[in-house]
This record gives sequence, structure tokens and C-alpha cells, in this order.
Amino acid sequence: MKVKAPSAGVGRAGRVRRVPAFPARFRSGLESAGLYLRTMLVFVLVWYGAATWIDNPVLLPTPIDVAGSFAELAAGGEMAMHFLASGKRLLFSFVLAGLIGIPLGIVMGLNRLTFQLFDPVIELLRPISGIAWIPLGLFIFGVGEALPTAIMFYGAFFPFVINTIASVRSVDPSYVSAARTLGAGRAVVLWHVVVPAALPGILVGARLAAGAGWMSMVAAELIGAPSGLGFAVEWYRELLMTPKVLAFIVLIGLLGYLFDRLLRAGQRHFARWSQREGIT
Amino acid sequence: MTRLPNSSMLRAMLLPVGLIIAWQVGVMLAASSDRAPMPSKVVVEGWKLLSSGDLPIALVQSLGRVLLGFGWATALALVLGALMGTYRAVDRALDPLIESFRPIAPIALLPLAILWFGTGTPAAAFIVGYAAFFPMIVNTIHGVSSVDPQLIRAARTLGVDRLTILRQVVLPGAMPFLFVGARLALGVAWTSIIAAELAVGAKAGGGSTGGIGQMMFVFYAYSVDLNGIIVCMISVGLIALLFDRGTRRLEQWMLPWKR
Repeated sequence: MKVKAPSAGVGRAGRVRRVPAFPARFRSGLESAGLYLRTMLVFVLVWYGAATWIDNPVLLPTPIDVAGSFAELAAGGEMAMHFLASGKRLLFSFVLAGLIGIPLGIVMGLNRLTFQLFDPVIELLRPISGIAWIPLGLFIFGVGEALPTAIMFYGAFFPFVINTIASVRSVDPSYVSAARTLGAGRAVVLWHVVVPAALPGILVGARLAAGAGWMSMVAAELIGAPSGLGFAVEWYRELLMTPKVLAFIVLIGLLGYLFDRLLRAGQRHFARWSQREGIT
Repeated sequence: MTRLPNSSMLRAMLLPVGLIIAWQVGVMLAASSDRAPMPSKVVVEGWKLLSSGDLPIALVQSLGRVLLGFGWATALALVLGALMGTYRAVDRALDPLIESFRPIAPIALLPLAILWFGTGTPAAAFIVGYAAFFPMIVNTIHGVSSVDPQLIRAARTLGVDRLTILRQVVLPGAMPFLFVGARLALGVAWTSIIAAELAVGAKAGGGSTGGIGQMMFVFYAYSVDLNGIIVCMISVGLIALLFDRGTRRLEQWMLPWKR
């Protein structure tokens, strides 16, 4: 595997904006909220116009219908139920992928023999997307809890390993030599030098892993789960209840956005000295 | 590393080959049913699917859909991205829309696409395009706005017209970002076509939509051919690898100064 230097460009992650100092930041926050509302208002009006023009609530319901369904589903607890089902799987598979991926990545980054042994297997499996495992997974696990969890684990595993390897390798060797010279043992060097220096890169990997897990979650649930957000969207499509389909799509978008914000905040909090792009 | 090429090659082969042998032997010794997939049967099945033409046809169908979706998404993203990267007003007006739609996983829109377009190629091309659009436009905006404004001013001062500036100054400057966008976009496009075809097969009860995802679903649901599924998975992985390496090569070839 060739671990490339952080390449130019922006991934799913998004644009990096310079944040001005506090008063200006507050003002620009208000201003961008205004801009946001203006655009979305136009969008909703166009949507409303198109919906009344088409006049077929199965094909395109009005924004008012969708908002009504959203409120109804949220108040009835159905959204919370599906969200919890999906969230539990996502969390479990994410933690599991990290628990296996990060230590494996550290060992592979530090030890050449381990790298030579495991890298070919990783590079052979990585191009096969988690979604392509769904039919085989359906056969092995059946429709249920295990399939989406396994698919999400698979999707999240590779970003963890690959970003951990790259960031362990990019730790400045002079830090390691300095610590060694001062008499630090291997474990101390690993825990107090290598891991903190590699942490920003590992966190980038975590964000990419969460994004990959989120993507495969909807697909896996849509095909092979009895509950969850992906299941709900397809369920209401079969019932031709389009307002509810759209309400769940809106929910998926909102959650995806919040999730990404949360991970970015975590990244800033734990590793504020670095904002580099990861390796997808 | 170059001192002992043979031993590092050996090490690289050790685990993959070992795992394949373990899989074969394990199935031969312990399998309870003769449906259990094993490497030798996968090879036979792969040869059968290749020589009968089923696999190539399915792959071509899926690739056609990917190119269709990728094509419309790229065209739209390039035009919008160039406008948004150049004019601040356009960026401010459209950015909220892009930021609002980006977190929606493309597959979540599949039920909607089936309602709107049925279960054929248009629904698949819609999903693929939706998935490919966002990496493409985000990188286009970033690329266009990262072009050194001094270069543009210099060209203007020399009396070059807007269209030529776009072609000769902005486009080459934004090119590295466009390639990153295209590589990411092709990757997600290929992933989502598999998901779309699988889900269409699973939810619309088969039909004659074709494509590699559909083929996998038929192997799963009707003929219960696990070896066939594994052949499909391997070809999905190979195509993904081909897309990735292909765009990297193309980038190296077209942008030699980036090397």
C-alpha cells in the first residue's frame, strides 16, 4: 500500500472556513443564518408550487404535508424508535471497528513485518464495498440485527486502519529518538509520544469511518433489517405514504448533519493543533 | 526492502494464500452442505459466468448507469461549482441548499426514486448522480476559488476575455481538485449503483432491470448460488480498484507538474 501524503481537495468532509474573532463571529453567524433561511424559504416555496402543480400527493406531497407527518411521527415516538435502533447498531459497530482497527493500525505502522503480512489482505478487501457484502451477509446472518451491524463494521474498519497507519508513520522520528535518548522504554514511547502525535490523524480516520458507517447503514437497513431509519423509509414507500417517506429522509439528513458536526467538534477538542485531511 | 525482493514477496503472499487454502480445506473437511462456497468452486463459477457472457453483460449495464449518473452530476457540478467559486452572491444563495442535501445518504432517496422513475435505469442513474454530485461540486468550488487571483488579474490586464481566462487560467488551476472530486465521485457512484440495483431487486421483486447488483440478488434469492455471489463481489472490487487507479494514472498523465 502506498500511503499518500494528504492530497489536495476536500472529501465528504467539507470546506474549511476561517473563523473570525468573537464579535465578528457572532454577527457573521446571524448573517449566515439569514442567508440560510432566505435560500431555504425560496426552496420550500418552489417545492410548494411544484407540488400543487403536480397535484399528486403520492408523487410529491407539499412541504406542509411533510411537516405534518414529521410532527406526527416525532410525537408518536416512531422516529425515536427507529433512530434508537439505527443509533445502537451504528455506535456498536463504530466502537468495535475502532477497538480492532486502531491497535492493528498502530502495530502495522510501527512494525514492518506485520505490515507486510496484513497489508495485502486489507488492500484486497478494501475495494469491495460493504454494500457488496449484503447478499452474502443476508445468507449468513439473515434479516435482523447482525447484518446491518456487520456491514457498518466493515465500512468503518478500513478508514480506521489506514488513517492510523499513515498517522503513526508520520510521527516525527526525532521525537521518538529524543524520548529514547532520555531513557524512555518502548511502552512509554508508544503511549506518551507515538499515540498523542498520531491522534489527530486517527481522529480524521474516525470521522471518515463514521461517515462510511452512516452510508452503509441506510443501505443495509433498507434491504435487510426489521427496524431502523433505512427500513422506515422503504416501509412507507411500499405503503405509498410519501409524506412519511420524505419526513424520514429529512430526519436522515438532519442526523447526518448533526453527526458530522459532533465528530468535527470532537476532532477540534481532542486535537486542536491539527486540521488535516484524511485518506479515504 | 529491495535487498530481498523474494522474501518480501513471500511475506505479502503468505496471508492471502494461507487464508484461501484454509478456506478451501475447511469447507472440504467440515461443510455440512454442498452449497458452501469454496475457492475452487468460485473459480469454476467465475469461468462459467465469464464465458457465458452473463457477467460481462451485467457489468456493462451497471457501468453504463454509473457513467450516465456520473455524467449528469459532473456536468451540473462543474457549471454550478464554477459559478459558485467565481461569484460570491451565487455561492451565498446556493451553499445552504448544498449543505442541506449533502448529509442525506443517497440510498435513502432510493424509495423516492422508485416512486418517481420506476425500477429501471432512470432511478439508478438518479441515485448515482445524487451520490456523485456532492464530492464533485465541493471540490470544484474549492478548486476554482483557490486559483491565485493575481493570475486572473494578470490575464485581465493583458486583455484576455472571460471565456479564455476560464479555459486557460481557472481550469488548469482547479484541475487537481477536479481530479480528487472525480475520484471520490466515481467511488461513491460505483458503491451506490450496487446498492440501488440490490435494493431494486430486493424490493421490486426482481424484474428485468439487469446489472451486477441485480445479478447478486438473483443469486441470493432465487438460485442460492453463493459461489456466484462471491464472483460478483470480486468483480465489484476489481472495477472499484480500476476506477481508483485509473483516475490516479490519468491525473499523473494530465498534470505532470503535480507528481
